[in-house]
Amino acid sequence: MGKPIVRITVVIFFMVGLICCSKPNDKVVVATAANVQFVMQELQKTFERESGTKLDIVVSSSGKLTTQIQQGAPFDVFVSADTRYPQEIFVNGGADNPPKIYARGTLVLWTRDSTITPDLTMLTQAGVKKIALANPETAPYGRAAVEVLKEAGLFEQVNSKLVFGESIAQTTQYIATGAADVGFTALSVVLSHEMKGKGRWTALDSTAYAHIDQAAILLKHSESSPKREKSQQFYDFLYSEKARAIFQQYGYSVE
Amino acid sequence: MNPEPLILTFKLASLTTLILFGVALPIAYWLAYSKFRGRVLVEAVIGMPLVLPPSVLGFYLLLAFSPSYAFGGWIEEVLGLRLVFSFPGLVVASVIYSLPFMVYPLQAGLQALPPSLREASYTLGKSAWTTFFKVLLPNCKSAILTALVLTFAHTVGEFGVVLMIGGNIPGVTKVASVAIYNEVEALNYPAANQYALVLFVITFAILLLVYLLNHRLRVRYSA
Repeated sequence: MGKPIVRITVVIFFMVGLICCSKPNDKVVVATAANVQFVMQELQKTFERESGTKLDIVVSSSGKLTTQIQQGAPFDVFVSADTRYPQEIFVNGGADNPPKIYARGTLVLWTRDSTITPDLTMLTQAGVKKIALANPETAPYGRAAVEVLKEAGLFEQVNSKLVFGESIAQTTQYIATGAADVGFTALSVVLSHEMKGKGRWTALDSTAYAHIDQAAILLKHSESSPKREKSQQFYDFLYSEKARAIFQQYGYSVE
Repeated sequence: MNPEPLILTFKLASLTTLILFGVALPIAYWLAYSKFRGRVLVEAVIGMPLVLPPSVLGFYLLLAFSPSYAFGGWIEEVLGLRLVFSFPGLVVASVIYSLPFMVYPLQAGLQALPPSLREASYTLGKSAWTTFFKVLLPNCKSAILTALVLTFAHTVGEFGVVLMIGGNIPGVTKVASVAIYNEVEALNYPAANQYALVLFVITFAILLLVYLLNHRLRVRYSA
């Protein structure tokens, strides 16, 4: 062991050994859209208690998760914020069955500023300098927010005040830190444990925007995959009575 | 392809480089020649953006710039300016983010000069000011060039901080790196590729030019 080169070689072999012998992840990995993360904690607790199967939750924006899935990320189930992204995965052969809608989201206008009433008519006032919404090109709640603004005939007037979060999570961050005076987010966010009772919010008229239908998809597993059955089990659980009750509790409507 | 994000990126990088050059010169001079014991501490603080994840910097800046917190509230009150979601905010953030890239090369360049240079100038009755601008700086052209280019290139490559405090406003804070991110998110890979390619080619050309110039400078001095 005198020569450094010998020592380095031994260390490298040892490290490679460690990497190779680490156990494969036997947890079901659930790729979760940002707006679903709060309700997912609750769903995870219930599912793990009932089935004994452990879950790993990966939270990001639906667009990013879709890109990662198409590049072969090791996810088992994808719980999206819309129907378009999971459909895209299905069309490209990433799943055996088409996506199914598990819940419908509600858009709210939310503010942490006590001097502002969260109301559409307030948005044109000088006191409101920045209005946060999710990127309408990639996030369904962002698209809905733009629809609401256009429906109310306010879009042109407030266009210069708009700032865009990359997902509902970042949009929430902008509103929660007060960097934006007011903003559009998901009802599930303002009802979450973290944000409950902080600031004031109003649910927006659901006829003013296209339904935010949210779908999930069971990603392709090989016949021999040890996680095949457990993933299917969790996917079915998402559509069970128990899960539906939890979704409703968190501000989603279920058919 | 919309050229706006690219133009914005280069505007941000140019402004940041210009401002930082002014900010970093006195700092580099002080670090190079000060006998002060606590100098190491200052050096470490300046180096923090090298090692901190941009998200950390971005998060603290988001809080600092938010009108709900002390500093942001004070700025909004006194200057009527909100730094978060604004181009000036990005400039402030980039100046902090790229500080070591400007300071360290300048400091190294000054420290590499023979002490006799400064001493000779002082002996001939020149002030510290004149010595610095007429004697020392012209002798570390190579270091200055390196500092300017590294700062510029580093700011072009900025992403995490901008994503945290920019708000993705077209023409205001939507720089090229964020535009690429958006296009990938929207599954528009060809558009992302166009932006990425332009950035790749331009930054590579800049670096190549600098290494060529640096090489020529060195050859001339050693001759």
